[in-house]
Amino acid sequence: MKRTIVKSVETRYYEEREALFRGLKNLDRRSFLKLSAAAAAAALARGVEFNLHSFQPVQVAHAATGEAGPVEFTFAYISDSHLYKRQLNDRFVRQLLRAVDDINHLAPQPDFVLYGGDLAQLGQPLELELGAQILKNLKAPVKMMVGEHDWFLDMGEKWRTLFGEPTYSFDHKGVHFVVLHSVMEDDFWSERGMTGMERMQTVAGLDNGIQSRFKVGTEQQVWLKNNLAAYSDDTPLIVFSHSPLYKYYRPWNFWTDDAEEVQALLQRFKQVVVVHGHTHQILTHRIGNIHFHGMLSTAWPWPYAPEGLPALTVQMNRADPFNPNDALGDGSVGVKAGGLVDKLYNLWNRNPIQVTSAYLTSGGKSAVPLTPNLQSY
Amino acid sequence: MRTFKLLLGATLTLVSLMWSPGRAEQSGGDYPAAAKQDPGTDDAAMAQWKRRGQEPDWMAEELAKHKVLIPADNKGLVGKGQGSTYGSVTPEDVKVWQQETYKLAVEGSRIFHSGDRLKSTIAVSCDMCHPDGANTHPETYPKFQAQLGRVALLRDAINWCIENPVRGKKLAPDSPEMRALETYIYAQRTGTPLQYGKR
Amino acid sequence: MQYLKIKNRTAFLLVTMVLPWLGACNARLQENAEGPRGAHGALDMDQQKTLLESLLPERDVTQSPPGVDPGIWQQLVIPEDNKMTPERVALGKKLYFETRLSKDGTVACATCHDVSRGFTDQRPVSEGINGALGKRNAPTTMNAFLLQTMFLDGRAPSLEEQAKLPIVNPIEMGHANEGAALAAIADDPEYQRMFSFAYGRAPNYDDLGRAIAAFERTFVFLDAPFDRYLAGSPEAISEEAKRGWNLFNGKGRCMSCHQMNPSIPIGSDNRFHNIGVAARKQNFEQLARRALEALAQEGDMKAVDRLAIETDLSELGRFMVTKDRADIGAFKTMQLRNIALTGPYMHDGSMETLWDVMDHYNKGGEPNPFLDGGIEPLALSEDEIDAVVEFMFTLSDARLAEQNQRAFTQQRKLAAAKRPFRDTAMAERRVLPFEERVMGGTR
Repeated sequence: MKRTIVKSVETRYYEEREALFRGLKNLDRRSFLKLSAAAAAAALARGVEFNLHSFQPVQVAHAATGEAGPVEFTFAYISDSHLYKRQLNDRFVRQLLRAVDDINHLAPQPDFVLYGGDLAQLGQPLELELGAQILKNLKAPVKMMVGEHDWFLDMGEKWRTLFGEPTYSFDHKGVHFVVLHSVMEDDFWSERGMTGMERMQTVAGLDNGIQSRFKVGTEQQVWLKNNLAAYSDDTPLIVFSHSPLYKYYRPWNFWTDDAEEVQALLQRFKQVVVVHGHTHQILTHRIGNIHFHGMLSTAWPWPYAPEGLPALTVQMNRADPFNPNDALGDGSVGVKAGGLVDKLYNLWNRNPIQVTSAYLTSGGKSAVPLTPNLQSY
Repeated sequence: MRTFKLLLGATLTLVSLMWSPGRAEQSGGDYPAAAKQDPGTDDAAMAQWKRRGQEPDWMAEELAKHKVLIPADNKGLVGKGQGSTYGSVTPEDVKVWQQETYKLAVEGSRIFHSGDRLKSTIAVSCDMCHPDGANTHPETYPKFQAQLGRVALLRDAINWCIENPVRGKKLAPDSPEMRALETYIYAQRTGTPLQYGKR
Repeated sequence: MQYLKIKNRTAFLLVTMVLPWLGACNARLQENAEGPRGAHGALDMDQQKTLLESLLPERDVTQSPPGVDPGIWQQLVIPEDNKMTPERVALGKKLYFETRLSKDGTVACATCHDVSRGFTDQRPVSEGINGALGKRNAPTTMNAFLLQTMFLDGRAPSLEEQAKLPIVNPIEMGHANEGAALAAIADDPEYQRMFSFAYGRAPNYDDLGRAIAAFERTFVFLDAPFDRYLAGSPEAISEEAKRGWNLFNGKGRCMSCHQMNPSIPIGSDNRFHNIGVAARKQNFEQLARRALEALAQEGDMKAVDRLAIETDLSELGRFMVTKDRADIGAFKTMQLRNIALTGPYMHDGSMETLWDVMDHYNKGGEPNPFLDGGIEPLALSEDEIDAVVEFMFTLSDARLAEQNQRAFTQQRKLAAAKRPFRDTAMAERRVLPFEERVMGGTR
């Protein structure tokens, strides 16, 4: 009787486990710390590797060597939590807690956590305070960015009290970081005699056509120009903005009206990355030397707009409404020497999706992320 | 109806009441806008009739905020063809057909965008996940939905969403709200080919 | 409507064919409950066979059974290379109760899938040769033919493949390999004859798997009071159970995964979900951290060894099969048919009663980084929990009514004494999953 030997899953699992621990035994401590993730990956995972320290998997490509060399440091992100008061809506609160829990489990810990804006749903003090309280539990330092939902009730008064000025910059490990307030809007409320709450609710409706389009504004552009003046062209530059710093779909404000002017200020730098929130979806774009990456929301996902989708974007699967956390999550960004980044979307209950710098620099020809089978309608 | 006025700032006191700190606790409590709508009745025709003459500019106000696609105009039918039993189609006919249809879609838009009208206990409305009705894919119904244990009509999916993501109260299948919501959702997918059963 | 028709037919068949011997069967079960037990606590194999014959009346096995949609039966259930024949079923029956299929001759399929115990062993985890305990709870073989994959992590694609694995698992039936298992029976002239009748070949391991699968496809237990209720007999289940069915579909959100429909009426979506049961039992982070600490001591390899043995990767569930991160800690949605008889519950048998199960879901599962997003706190009241449990007790086949009643009494008594998974603050969303971990002691 001729038969191929089929090993049961149990057998294979015990073999793999033994191989893993054998491998660990044979490493000295220094090599282990350096290679633990790779060893675990070889034994356990396909595409995704485990960091034993935390049991939180990280993507292989984070550690893999691309043309831009290894990842120098990582930062994590959480974005678009849209908190109401917890008595009103526990779900959004729970989802932000889950993201904080995720990030706190990362090992090694990210250098910092970017909060991508729209912490609150209606910019109310109780919402912002709740969010601030929850974010305090992150082990890594937090860099805050403002979103329109945080702003338009009191034009940022409460947000500034809690988190300081929304426009700022800092340097970290040779990279210059700039945080912008990109969700300024021209006054549509005064002539309509709106209260702050009415103004806020108008802005809070994505498809509400009464509001104006987002913009960075001339004042901030001047600030940005001056801020960048001290830096040479080969300084790696990473910009955080809530809205995408380009024009995707105007009716939903997936849009920054003066995007071209801001891009012009960034153009002279050899390597620029823009990380933005607001769109609640995987979004990838490249304009010249500027790489753009979206962020996931922790509150609810958004469909892809009917037109204007950047060609480089590989869409995420349409969300399954039967899983209220589907198409949501958090993520991290691995920064390489020279400023190129690999962007990880940590989608809850799905496999993570990574958009690498190799994908962007090859113009979408190599390292293509998995394509969706359920398209957005 | 009043939700709209609240937003436009006509009744400022009510606005502050709506968003006062105490409001959150009264989930499922007194929602002025919805109460006026009398959701218990399934007499949709009557609801549409009653609306005549009230808040004459409500459509314009809603349309300033939210885009609702215009129904077919049928102008090509006026005065043409072989005639029918009761005479030929008049310009008045096509105007009425279009206007009444459009009105219901615009009313649907108001409900679609209002957590209060949907009686959400967690302040969630349809447009949060479905701006302009995107990703509602009405053209794919009816389809078997395992989580519902049956072939779902569009209204079943709407009700599932109202009960779960929105955490509101299910609508009677023939309630004026359901008819309006369905109309809005279909309206937004005008021109899309029907393919029932599609995922 | 088609569903109703089928169910009507089932009800009709039941009245005309099944009822006459129900009484005898129930008396038998009662006796078995206190009766003598064989190896590993299972009922004696001959007694099991007798009991099975009373449960499953003679019928033409080549036809689709009552209660199962004929289209589903023909197109999805019966494989092309294993059509149902009486000879195959007979061979499978002999093999199902065959203790020689274990190395030491003490374990048969029927040891852990005991006819007198809901076709499972009613233990948290199963006992194999030499009293070794496995890591997983034995699922019932009743209606298992309607599942798309076998084992709680779905590692076997069919009943045929499933049947072949425990025989050669070192801690289950313990044969060194397939050849050794086959050798234990292949010289028996009875088996030679039966294999020949069934498959026209000499005994071989694949046909052994096929025959057991064919036999298990006769375990149709889909005639519950709930079916009669759906078929138009409102009095078949209590008002409370009806309320439970509504909650099952609505507030309880059970239907999202425990999908019941006329085609596949067993209450499983055949998918894999992390509901946090493994996260509660196994603190992966802690183990991993201890491993790192041990390594930091340079040379304390004993500690690493110990950890290697303690670390229970089987708790990773579906992940061990797919290596997909989305499957970490995810286990197959259990069927709900005859659920009253198949406790204790969950992949590790860690919950004794259906009230425990409800408590677990009601509080929104156990927080972990891979928790299924559909698991939300449900805010079910005690009354509502009782109603859903009451509903679940209407899913036991009418032939097992006596056992069902006994399980209900027993579980209710247990639940009255202790509800270890109850967490009202969490269920009512006063405390949120993840909150304790993130925010620290908030209560």
